[in-house]
Amino acid sequence: MGRQGRTTRLRAWLICGLWLCAVPALAAERIASLNLCLDQILLSWVPPNNIVSVTWLSGQDQYRRAPIPEHIYLNRAQAEELLPLTPDLILTGQFGAQRAAARLEQLGFPVVRIPDAYSLEQLQAQLTALGKALGPLPQLTAQEKQLADLLADNPSAGHEQSKPRALILSANNITYGSGMLEHQLLTRAGFTNLAAEEGVNQLGRVSLEQVIALAPDLLVFYGGAQDFAIAHLAERHPVLKQYIASGRTYRLPEQLGYCPALAVVDVLQQLKKKRAEIVDAE
Amino acid sequence: MSTRNKTLIAVLLAALPVAMLLALSSGPVAIDLPAAIASGWRSDSSDSVILWQLRLPRAVLALLVGAALGLGGAAMQGMLRNPLAEPALLGVSSGAALAAILVLYYGAAVSGLMLPLLAITGALLAVGSVWLLAGRGASASRLVLAGVAINAFLSALMALALNYAPSMFAMQEIVFWLLGSLANRGWDQVLLALPFIVAGAIMLFLARNYLRALSLGETSAASLGFAGRRYPLLVLFGIAFAVGSSVAVAGTIGFIGLVVPHLMRPLVGQDPGRLLWVSALAGALLLLLADVLVLNTVGTQELRIGAVTAFIGAPFFFWLIVSGRREMSL
Repeated sequence: MGRQGRTTRLRAWLICGLWLCAVPALAAERIASLNLCLDQILLSWVPPNNIVSVTWLSGQDQYRRAPIPEHIYLNRAQAEELLPLTPDLILTGQFGAQRAAARLEQLGFPVVRIPDAYSLEQLQAQLTALGKALGPLPQLTAQEKQLADLLADNPSAGHEQSKPRALILSANNITYGSGMLEHQLLTRAGFTNLAAEEGVNQLGRVSLEQVIALAPDLLVFYGGAQDFAIAHLAERHPVLKQYIASGRTYRLPEQLGYCPALAVVDVLQQLKKKRAEIVDAE
Repeated sequence: MSTRNKTLIAVLLAALPVAMLLALSSGPVAIDLPAAIASGWRSDSSDSVILWQLRLPRAVLALLVGAALGLGGAAMQGMLRNPLAEPALLGVSSGAALAAILVLYYGAAVSGLMLPLLAITGALLAVGSVWLLAGRGASASRLVLAGVAINAFLSALMALALNYAPSMFAMQEIVFWLLGSLANRGWDQVLLALPFIVAGAIMLFLARNYLRALSLGETSAASLGFAGRRYPLLVLFGIAFAVGSSVAVAGTIGFIGLVVPHLMRPLVGQDPGRLLWVSALAGALLLLLADVLVLNTVGTQELRIGAVTAFIGAPFFFWLIVSGRREMSL
């Protein structure tokens, strides 16, 4: 009995030790965010008990992905709101809430500026910066690995003729040309981005006439599926009915625009799937 | 009507098909227009689709909305006997825009005929509020004052509605409503607005003799058999139908209703009845030409048609002021 009891205790200690090793040690225990994207990342990847505040925008229906725990304070990027919460890490972006961040820094709070991501390279830099600030989070590491794997796999490498042509038709008839993350995702998924082919660098305008004349194999809409907006009137035009009926459309999630870190892997996977469908159909 | 004025009106009529051709030839993609026309609207070629499903409905909508605004402006100026009156002045445009905003941003399930119907209801409610606020037998100047007050209130409500709208672009979209646009409109919008604009035009046609009588003064009009509320209400309903449905599909486009009747009045010998149709014709032509300008402007952002009409309208007012000062000094 005594020997068996000792073995059981030893086993329990061993399990406890292994569990402690498996759960990553967070670099901070009371984390606050002054940036919408960083809010979303914290809420998705960090245990809720370690988050003390996110911005009020994350509480809005438009951005909320899951109910926000009651103890998390929704701030409006004011330094005085974060002071009583005594965070031991404050995350902020490159732009916005800079005055509050500077004031908090002056008051001795540890503020870390996470770079924004407008390209895949910047996204990898952003994930690295997050890893440094937050410690080795399992979801973060998984995301980094998934992204690296997807980028390594180029479905149309060496098959220029099998590249279907895609065109993004976003709000206000805006399209995305070379130098944009959206362009990179299309090309990495094995599409030719018609906007870039037409010489659009970064953002450009595309009319419905141009959409019809260019006849892309895949028409890519961007966000705005639920709510009416004149900005999205173009995609409701009857002239695009054929595209929608034949399934030659794809909708980029709004989140890709304001927080690509959480959306890019899914988007890349879905675009690759869409490409395979189009190539098979041909 | 003098021969010169008749000729000018004939020129306007002749300019309409020319402007139409110009509009159908304008766009970001170069198309073979004769071939696209010959291949018919059922053709699947990209040129045909561009012509029949994109350019033609847009041009037709420009004509319809321009005509409705010209007609509404002429009727409003005739009824109020105020040269500064236009549909927007009595809150017609703001009432319709507010209703359209509420429907589009808060009730996406409501569609089809409900949109112009509610926009017209909004326009009517705005006009009704002005009518009530000004009081029974109000003078034209008191009506205008009440119109300014209601208009300001409706604009504030519009900003509030957009402020709390779930759409990401709602605040930006107030600009779209206030400056109007014909971009990305199709046959569905044409068919939505057409019956209401026609109904409004018929009502104004029936009120043409009232407007003529009114030009002699309210007492004279009453002595000629135009007493009571029937005719003023007919005019207001006519304006609300024509302008309300235009706003529902194209937003609020200013200055057409203000400038066009001014320009056309001398051509019809100051006859408020004839002014209605000539203003409709000129309004259609002006908006179509403004849209041609929009279509031929290159830029990352679309040039708003309301900005173009304002650019046309504002110099007209400068000219009006300068000519007024000259007349006074003589």
